[in-house]
Amino acid sequence: MRIRLPERLSLIDLVLWALRIAIVVGVTAGTVATLAEGTLQATDWRDLLVYGIAQGSVYALLALGYTLVYGVLFMINFAHGDVFMAGAMTAFFVADYFGETGFMNANPIVALAVIFAVSMLTSMIVAIVLERIAYRPLRRAPRLVPLITAIGASLFIANSVRGLFGERIQSYPRVDILQGRIDVLGIPVLKTQALVIVSAIILMLALYYFVERTRTGRAMRAVSEDKDTASLMGIDVDRIIVTTFAIGGLLAGAAGILYALVFNQVHWFMGFLPGIKAFTAAVLGGIGNIAGAMLGGLSLGILESVGPYLLLSGFNVSSPNQLRDVVAFTVLVLVLVFRPNGILGASEGDK
Amino acid sequence: MPAMTISAWLRRAARLGVVAGVALIYLSLVGLVGAFEERDVVTDVLKLGTLMLAAVAVIAGYRAALPPKTAAAPPGVMRLAAGVLAGTVAGAFVGALLLLAATPIDLQTVFVRLNAALIAFLSFDAESPVVGAALQIGLNAVLGGVGAVLVLLPDRFRRPLVFATLAVALVSMAEPYVRPRLDQLDMDPIADFLYSGHGLTVAASVVVFVLVTAVAVAWAPARSQVDRRLAVLPAERRRSVRFTSFILIGLLVLALPLITGQFISQVLVLVGLYLLLALGLNIVVGYAGLLDLGYVAFFAVGAYLMAILTSADGPLGAPMVAIAGEQGAFFVALPIVMVGAALTGLMIGAPVLRLRGDYLAIVTLGFGEIARILFLSDALEPWLGGVQGIIGIPSPLPQRVDFALGPIEISWSGPQVIFYPIVLFCLLAAVVAYRLAGSRVGRAWNAMREDEEVAEITGVNTVNYKLLAFAMGAGLGCLSGALFAIQLGSVFPGSFNVLVSITVLAIIILGGMGSIPGVILGALVLIGLPELLREFAEYRLLVYGGVLVAMMLLRPEGLIPNRGRQRELHEQDDEDEQYAHEAGEDVAKPVVA
Repeated sequence: MRIRLPERLSLIDLVLWALRIAIVVGVTAGTVATLAEGTLQATDWRDLLVYGIAQGSVYALLALGYTLVYGVLFMINFAHGDVFMAGAMTAFFVADYFGETGFMNANPIVALAVIFAVSMLTSMIVAIVLERIAYRPLRRAPRLVPLITAIGASLFIANSVRGLFGERIQSYPRVDILQGRIDVLGIPVLKTQALVIVSAIILMLALYYFVERTRTGRAMRAVSEDKDTASLMGIDVDRIIVTTFAIGGLLAGAAGILYALVFNQVHWFMGFLPGIKAFTAAVLGGIGNIAGAMLGGLSLGILESVGPYLLLSGFNVSSPNQLRDVVAFTVLVLVLVFRPNGILGASEGDK
Repeated sequence: MPAMTISAWLRRAARLGVVAGVALIYLSLVGLVGAFEERDVVTDVLKLGTLMLAAVAVIAGYRAALPPKTAAAPPGVMRLAAGVLAGTVAGAFVGALLLLAATPIDLQTVFVRLNAALIAFLSFDAESPVVGAALQIGLNAVLGGVGAVLVLLPDRFRRPLVFATLAVALVSMAEPYVRPRLDQLDMDPIADFLYSGHGLTVAASVVVFVLVTAVAVAWAPARSQVDRRLAVLPAERRRSVRFTSFILIGLLVLALPLITGQFISQVLVLVGLYLLLALGLNIVVGYAGLLDLGYVAFFAVGAYLMAILTSADGPLGAPMVAIAGEQGAFFVALPIVMVGAALTGLMIGAPVLRLRGDYLAIVTLGFGEIARILFLSDALEPWLGGVQGIIGIPSPLPQRVDFALGPIEISWSGPQVIFYPIVLFCLLAAVVAYRLAGSRVGRAWNAMREDEEVAEITGVNTVNYKLLAFAMGAGLGCLSGALFAIQLGSVFPGSFNVLVSITVLAIIILGGMGSIPGVILGALVLIGLPELLREFAEYRLLVYGGVLVAMMLLRPEGLIPNRGRQRELHEQDDEDEQYAHEAGEDVAKPVVA
């Protein structure tokens, strides 16, 4: 790529270039320093990488929800993280019941399937209700209005769950068959992490099939191209939008259970950070682009788990893991500033 | 306009009843009813929880009896019937909840607030759930009917009645603050007449209700007369009337800490700090139309800068205090804080200015979180104190002020003292913002907010104006942070989370974007009221979220809209209504872009 300097270098351009140079220098110096010091073994890096992929799969599932909605409505569904939380919180009560009665370990496959179903359905219902009450009346309002509504809805859902279910941090019961590690191509992987990665892949393939091969999927793509024309072609735009929210909700519900299985804990505020990070992932991959959301999710997961150690431990920064969220948010800021169309995003123009 | 058929009319009422029923169950299960069940409005007669539930049924009845814009109003009896029906349906939902709770199904493990106390409260302490359910249905039917009657009443009685009810609730809520103050001022008889226990006495509530109703009924015609008289005055006289009323309001504000005492002064200080934040964010969001969700970053930077520069424990603060003295350090530090603030604003603003509105919101949210995590992190602990924060920030103000104003001896302490500089800064900020809005800069912001590309083509340097907005917003945010730091005497990273940004946003949205009186009202309602309702603390964010959604759906221009903004809205109303008519649905009015 040839870099063309603009004819008049404005102050902003200068700031941006200074930022670019600072980043390149910082990243290189940090990486070299860390690798030269060699505090972490190759196996440590491998474990961080696997952890990052598992974490990234959850982000990818959530990012798909952002991307799908953005594709049809051009709005950021800020409350998507709370849709994810609502599913995981509701399914907790089912899981807890199964755990106490021993059903969880007697019939783990059935139990897990039921828990997944409950979480996915709850999230789907929350997403549909959200669309109907909060977003549909604002379909033609200026962009900031639905965004502010979404922020309000996010607070409202999170605090409703806090009020309804209590503010304790709840722990999911142990699932015996998910304890320990399995060997994948000679790499020992935690079983929960393997489950997360496999389920995410299955769900993403299913989504891909749905969007590319079914009639509804085709209608969805038509709506995201041009709502007015699609409606002239006999597509019920409202129904397609609801379907989009429903699918986003289903994926978020699944992500909620996967997250709960990895971290064991659910609480009413758990939607906020994963929500923003998943949005980052969606933007990183190119918002509105399904493959991009998957790629973005995985990249962000890996960056977040490997990044702090790789970049910061060389500078003797104490407890770099505390700064993992800073890495995620910095990635968000940098992507939006330097490449708002994302890795796979076609030039969207300024719609 | 065609009248609705009877069955369509009743179906509509029943639908409203279902919505109200879901709302009643939600309020009960989310714990709001439980939180307010202890709180007396009228001692031994009416509790705040009852009032809240009753309000839902009354509103449902009111809405059910109000004919839609597109249809002619049915006869009065039908409207009354609709109100009663809506109330009955709503009551049936609560009744069903009571019956369900009486079955052996263990609902309390899931819905933690559905405890015995709540069930007893909802069933009016009736032993049998069937009796409780019947009572709920009957009572809600009556309340729905009351709502319908409100519709049928002429305007000049309806508003006063609603006001009077709110006034009774407000006076009773103020009990923990008013009563000790009255005792302090040796006005025990008044206190004893007004309050018994934690609520109003029956006599006092009747007096307050009648008084407010009478004043409000009388005020409506008087007000239009005053308006008419004012309108015929020459411009010069009108200005002097306005000036005088400003002075009067100003004097009242200045006297507030004297009248209200320590507790409420503390609340007012908090309102003032948030007002300062809101005035700053109002420039960024309301004037320039840039949705900044990381505004807390400026608040934090201001507080931490002040802390680092003046705390005697710090490496910078120690020499500063040694040179300038404990009280002087603040004044030396303040200009540095302001410069630092503007620089932070530019630093955050510069890279994000080319982003579209919604991306800008998320990026600034990211910045806010980065700031919070950095302040919290071990990595920067030597400078910023990590989790422990920074303590020992000297206040430039004396602890106590005693002086005599003629025969009255006045003694202020703590929050009563710091209230005055905060009011001063708020006033300064409000005047600057007001003057800016009407200036060339304000018009440039307006143009930019309405349509950035057109503004740029007509010669507005959008980059500079955006940077200016960011810098000014940052300045006010940091100022508020600095005052926050000296008021507390310490800063902790926990005070600076994303919820601060969202609270400030809610203040602006509630009051009206771009409207200074609106912002003041928003700060009073959203910061002041929750302090009066201590039980409410846990539900604050729930309500803020609800406020954001409801305002955007129902009244996007805010409670006290900016006049120009409202005009812009009404130009578009015709188009929208036409569209709504074609599409056969309600379309919300657009506000800022």
